[in-house]
Amino acid sequence: MIFPIFPSHELGLVFAVVSGFGFGFVLERAGFGRAQKLVGQFYGYDMSVFKVMFTAVVTAMLVIVVASGVGLTDFRLIADHATSATFVVPFLVGGMLVGMGFVMSGYCPGTSYVAMASGKVDGLVTVLGTIVGQVIWAEVEGRPGFARFHNSTALGSFYLWELLHLPDRAGPAIVAVAVVLMAVGCFIGAEKLERLFASKADPLATAIPGGRPRRFVVAGLVSAALAGVAMLALPTGSRAGTLEVAAISPADLARRVFDAPWSLRVLDLRPLAECAAKRVPGSECIPVDDLPKLRLAEANAAREIVFVGAEDLALPPAAAGYPGKLAILKGGWKAWEAYALTQPAPPAPGAALAEVEDYRFRAGIQSALTGMKAAPPAPPPAASSGGGTKKAGGGGCSG
Amino acid sequence: MQRDPNKFWNPYVAGVALGLVLATTYLVMGGGLGASGGSLRMGIAALSLVAPDHVAATPALARAAVAEHPNWLVYELLGVVLGGLVAAYTAGRLKREVLKGPRISTGSRIALALAGGVLMGVAAKITRGCASGQALSGGALLSVGAWIFFMAFFGGAYALAPFVRREWR
Repeated sequence: MIFPIFPSHELGLVFAVVSGFGFGFVLERAGFGRAQKLVGQFYGYDMSVFKVMFTAVVTAMLVIVVASGVGLTDFRLIADHATSATFVVPFLVGGMLVGMGFVMSGYCPGTSYVAMASGKVDGLVTVLGTIVGQVIWAEVEGRPGFARFHNSTALGSFYLWELLHLPDRAGPAIVAVAVVLMAVGCFIGAEKLERLFASKADPLATAIPGGRPRRFVVAGLVSAALAGVAMLALPTGSRAGTLEVAAISPADLARRVFDAPWSLRVLDLRPLAECAAKRVPGSECIPVDDLPKLRLAEANAAREIVFVGAEDLALPPAAAGYPGKLAILKGGWKAWEAYALTQPAPPAPGAALAEVEDYRFRAGIQSALTGMKAAPPAPPPAASSGGGTKKAGGGGCSG
Repeated sequence: MQRDPNKFWNPYVAGVALGLVLATTYLVMGGGLGASGGSLRMGIAALSLVAPDHVAATPALARAAVAEHPNWLVYELLGVVLGGLVAAYTAGRLKREVLKGPRISTGSRIALALAGGVLMGVAAKITRGCASGQALSGGALLSVGAWIFFMAFFGGAYALAPFVRREWR
């Protein structure tokens, strides 16, 4: 797996401008800096909004499905990272309101920036309105009545293939193929509708050229869909059978839980009551007898699974067949408790830098997990001759 | 070269290009594109100039003011404006004007644009993203919420369209 790259903050900002440039350029060239062309969708004379948006959705989806199929990335990983949780009622109500705002202003928030950039005063006003509206809702969303609505009917991260009870590995590709078929059907319908409206004698209707479908685009979509189907046949991960079981130390687990939680799936195999009381952050309580129910052999291989037992643990047989990486927490829960939930002893004055760093990390974890603040390490002696020890006691756990 | 300001890309070609931009963004950043999150960040920045204490005291505002992702979105919007500017200029569409139908005054059109903008701003916060952040970026990754949004968005727009026909036709 190579993607996503997750560049450093600064590089990411440079990339933000580049991808934004592409976004803005394409939107403008599609005619989306022009309100009449956008709202044409809702009067039947120009279906560009639907065509461009749906084609973009299909294209991006297929790229990620195919890249995921050949092992360059993982669909679920990107989806968990890039999409918001689902809130059914707020999305229904809010979605309709965004649609209404769209026909009133003539833009959606994204295209209003493009319109503004191409000199349209109504675009600029829409941008300002959007900013005001965003702040207004941010202002009230925390208040009791509003918060109840804002967070109602929450389903968490929820995907179409889960809605259809498809397995995690093949699900995205199956749904993708269905979406492509639906898109092709909708495009044919949209062309028919446009022709129908254009034939009605309305001089304005033909003023804005729509654009004919191009065979090669349809052919491209279909061939990409076929590639997606081919992905289903490829064994993802392709490591099935060779069980590598690494032991992970509590320190390494803590680092990963805090720095890259999306790369892990922590399964706590202790009895439910013990796990429910205290567990590694983000872990799932799966009593060892329930493990077969997870059907790990069919699960998505993107995340490394870490098993947590009460003490050291042999690999449970139900984990066999999991196509991804597996690890076992060295020393089990006991070792975790000793490492992460007990206050570390501060290093002696004049301790090596690495030791002080280690202490700071542990103290940070401990205070984050228990709410307890540890005393900062003792500062190095003021008259230290070497000067090799740098500021050790600085700012708590800001590291 | 002859430039026709009324000539646009074929919508399917534009869609594929947009999809490729979006897919590249997923593959590099692990996230999608958006427009409303960046707007919120700018609004909060403006608000903190006037009333910094108020921003600090309101949890939703304070949280958004320090979160890292909206910062990325502001830079992305900077790119959107630059990209839109270059595309409009090279296509001969860069012109100061108010776009509206023939039967509505400029003042009413501006008022409706402002009202629509505020409405979209509020609603896009409720839906955790607008047409770009939710429908486009979430829809391509098959999020159920994004597809609910997508359908509600078209439903709402079609429902209101007959009532604001004067604005456009």
